[in-house]
Amino acid sequence: MELSPENPLSAEPEIETSHPEEFVEELRYVADTLPSRINIDAASVEQGLAKLVLTLIEFIRRLLEKQAVRRMEGGDLSPEQIEELGLALMKLEVKLQELKTQFGLTDEDLNLDLGPIGRLI
Amino acid sequence: MKLYAYCLVEDVDALDAIPLGISGAAVRLLQVDEFAVLVSNFDSDTVAVTRENALDHAAVVRSVLDRTTPLPFRFGTLVTEQQLSIYISARRPALQSRFELVRGCVEMSVKVIRELSSDNSMTESQGEITSGTTFLEEKRREIRGGEQRAAEANDISTWLHEQVENLTRDEQVTVRPSDKLVVAAAHLVARDKIPQYKETMAAAREIRPELHFLFSGPWPPYSFANMELEFKSQFGVS
Amino acid sequence: MSSSFDQIIVNEEWDSTDLSLLETLDHVLNRGLVIAGEITISVADIDLIFLGLNVLVSSVETAHEVLRKR
Repeated sequence: MELSPENPLSAEPEIETSHPEEFVEELRYVADTLPSRINIDAASVEQGLAKLVLTLIEFIRRLLEKQAVRRMEGGDLSPEQIEELGLALMKLEVKLQELKTQFGLTDEDLNLDLGPIGRLI
Repeated sequence: MKLYAYCLVEDVDALDAIPLGISGAAVRLLQVDEFAVLVSNFDSDTVAVTRENALDHAAVVRSVLDRTTPLPFRFGTLVTEQQLSIYISARRPALQSRFELVRGCVEMSVKVIRELSSDNSMTESQGEITSGTTFLEEKRREIRGGEQRAAEANDISTWLHEQVENLTRDEQVTVRPSDKLVVAAAHLVARDKIPQYKETMAAAREIRPELHFLFSGPWPPYSFANMELEFKSQFGVS
Repeated sequence: MSSSFDQIIVNEEWDSTDLSLLETLDHVLNRGLVIAGEITISVADIDLIFLGLNVLVSSVETAHEVLRKR
């Protein structure tokens, strides 16, 4: 429908795509990720805080991994150092996984959307 | 008795043909200084996010688009008249500059899906990783893959921007390199440029058959109303 | 101190395959002017101040745009 100053706008905005099912699948997150209720009881606040804290830790952990890979590629680490670094990061990953499980959080829960930077995970 | 606030308008002192609002309540104009707010009475403390309410909200905001460009409130804005008054007088300069930005324009949306290449997930794993070195090498693969996807995503976003930069007064773009829905853009377009914008988008879609597009609009300028964005600093892409 | 934020409750009854509804939701939720900036909520008489409704919602939902302007 052509839009011009004379024609009133249609009651609903037009949506046009050749791939409606794909977009439905991608846009579902808007509906799916809304909480069923924004709870302010103590237990939910605790979980909410745990989520914030673990999200930050996850963010830092990923930065550390990136740094480690850069150092490895930079060639200034010995094979033994690389091995130790890798083992330490592996343990960190495992530990964080345990914490997520403990608080009943999934990877998606910690997947902060940072706009242009993209998602965390 | 609370008010449900739909949008802010300038230079409007009467309404005609506005649909009923949330829960079938009548929508009226509340004058606050040089602005007016579309409101309806609302007698609960909670607004349910239902299909009906979302569509009612959208329909009310859209109904003023014929005659003026509103600044929409976010869905679920429940206020008292006093809160509205305080909010408006506290933010008058920012609101005026927002109106100046969106005046005479509408919002057009573009969303782009691209297929993710298969090395998105973990590559062939050699069983359980027990070596620190293997762990880091695996991470390197993942990170490189991620960087590649990010570069491609930014290319798409830049390309899209270039298609319409002469037609848009402003844009809000989100790039999500790890998602199929890689770019979501809101374009602020002057009303008289809409036909040209649509033609441009139609042509653009033909040039990139590997991408899937969703176009929607015209919308009231939902994505350009939020003033908090003015104070955020620019982040670089990592 | 009582809580004073707009409590939004989600109802699960919508048809999540309705593309036009999903597009509409994408526009009316999380965008637009925000009036209730700060929320003060008290739990067991301790005031917990959240940064803003946007942040509160984003701590329990994953889809949130912190920065959009390019």
